[in-house]
Amino acid sequence: MLDAEAAAFLLRPGVSLAAATCDESNVPRIGRCVGCRVSKDRSSVTVLIASQQYQAFFEALRATRAIAVVCSLPSTHRTIQLKGSEAVIEPLARGDVDIVASFVDSFVIELASLGYPEDLARAYHWCDPTELRAVRFMPAAAFEQTPGPGAGAPLARSA
Amino acid sequence: MTITVDAIRACLEGVIPSTVATCAPDGTPNISYVSQVHYVDSAHVALTFQFFNKTHKNVLANPRAAVLAIDPQSAARFQLELEYLRTETEGPLFESMKAKLAGIASHTGMAGVFRLLGSDVYRVLGVTPVPGRKLPSPTPRRNLLASLRACSQVFERSADLSVLLEHLLAALEAQFDIRHAMVLMLDAPGERLYTVASRGYPQSGVGSEIALGCGVIGVAAQQKSPIRIMHMTAEYSYGRAIRESAERAGMGGHLETAIPLPGLADSRSQLAAPIVAAGRVLGVLYVESPEDQRFSYDDEDALVALAGQLGLAMRAMQETEDTHEPAGTLAGRQPLAKGAPVTVRHFAADDSVFIGDDYLIKGVAGAILCKLLADYARDGRTEFTNRELRLDPRIRLPDLSDNLEARLILLHRRLAERSGALLLEKTGRGRFRLCVNRPVQLVEVPRPG
Repeated sequence: MLDAEAAAFLLRPGVSLAAATCDESNVPRIGRCVGCRVSKDRSSVTVLIASQQYQAFFEALRATRAIAVVCSLPSTHRTIQLKGSEAVIEPLARGDVDIVASFVDSFVIELASLGYPEDLARAYHWCDPTELRAVRFMPAAAFEQTPGPGAGAPLARSA
Repeated sequence: MTITVDAIRACLEGVIPSTVATCAPDGTPNISYVSQVHYVDSAHVALTFQFFNKTHKNVLANPRAAVLAIDPQSAARFQLELEYLRTETEGPLFESMKAKLAGIASHTGMAGVFRLLGSDVYRVLGVTPVPGRKLPSPTPRRNLLASLRACSQVFERSADLSVLLEHLLAALEAQFDIRHAMVLMLDAPGERLYTVASRGYPQSGVGSEIALGCGVIGVAAQQKSPIRIMHMTAEYSYGRAIRESAERAGMGGHLETAIPLPGLADSRSQLAAPIVAAGRVLGVLYVESPEDQRFSYDDEDALVALAGQLGLAMRAMQETEDTHEPAGTLAGRQPLAKGAPVTVRHFAADDSVFIGDDYLIKGVAGAILCKLLADYARDGRTEFTNRELRLDPRIRLPDLSDNLEARLILLHRRLAERSGALLLEKTGRGRFRLCVNRPVQLVEVPRPG
């Protein structure tokens, strides 16, 4: 289960999220996420990804169910990575479309603070809402990935 | 249609970090942001390997990697399928990535954190666009191929090196809107570069020097590779490069900094392309701008193409000079100058020359002036040939292939800028005149000891 700090960071407005999996031949595939949920007890994390944009990612995920998710806040470079197995692909839950809208709005504000134009940040996250899928997994490990000598260290885990 | 990496180079400038995924042998994926996916050629890219890096560890065991890259103008996204080949820890690719990373680090507040340990080189197996919405791309300022073609015409029009350099720098401004540029020549034995031409600075800086390996100019010459920085970085600033260069030269190095390099104080984008002919570095064509991200991969290609043409032109001109230089000495004389005499001191230790108390030049150009003045003092000669300079043991040209014409341009410009008393005039191919406007008293200061 995630510690409270890592869970809060995943949900922090303005973060950038991306997921990776690999297929049965150990070829990695990437899918960009446009939103995230964390269960109340912090035992599961759900990321929202457009299936038609990242078809190869979904095909590989169905085959191996292995997943890694990176979460980074551009203004501070704070970055963490979660890893899990047994990921499942689910339809959207109620409220997920609002989560995506709010995720993109926050990201636009974050990037604007760094001087990037709004239309760029929006186009970058554009997806067809009907294509969105929820990918749920139990984080088995979490790592610090902020650039610097501490990168790669496991995050302290709460019991 | 297959897309090659050169078609999506704008995504690889590090403006928006790319995402890279790899996979451990046990099937555990790893994903991280990478500050730089560097374009190597149409079939290869290289990723920065910094500090601890799971990506690097994974690809050593399983070479497959995936990158998601974003075009910073259109937001178009592309998936790259990669296969790891090797890691380079020195050489042109490494230095080019190191310089670019320093710019990115400085721009993103990560100076002193980002440190390149290696360049991980990958073969590109495929590039796939991610379906989605794109922003319309802004109309480019100019078609750079058309600019390059127009700029190349200077090589047909210019008969001598001095005129060619002047025309080339003017054409860079007219065709590429590049307003700050300079050409430096390599003094191979001295392991330094000296400025022979510049445009867009309050002071020409002709004669200023920079050590091989220092700053983007010095690294480009040393590595025989273009170096491009998109954001200002202290690591490659002139201030530092010149200070280090002077320190390296030790106590005797004060003259290295006597002529300030004509760089922009607020330079934010820099591009140095080596001038190469027959595999040898002759010098560096350098451009800079006070704007961030001013020079793209396409500008780099254009400048590399022009620097290559310049190298060939320099070599061809030199060969022409060598075969057409008049043999022997010329007998032209000039009536002796009138007025208050000017003292010219020549220090044999480094061939430095001072006119009155003002430093003029040192090295080969200093030795040339000293020979001219000695011959003038002895028998009033004022007409000279390049050929006799090449053969004169007093001048100690570093080697036969040394670009004598560049040394003469340097001397000509320094005299024109610093002294009305002495001037050089080109009088024809491989020949020139020393104009002495005031009586000269030449003082030879021998080597100490």
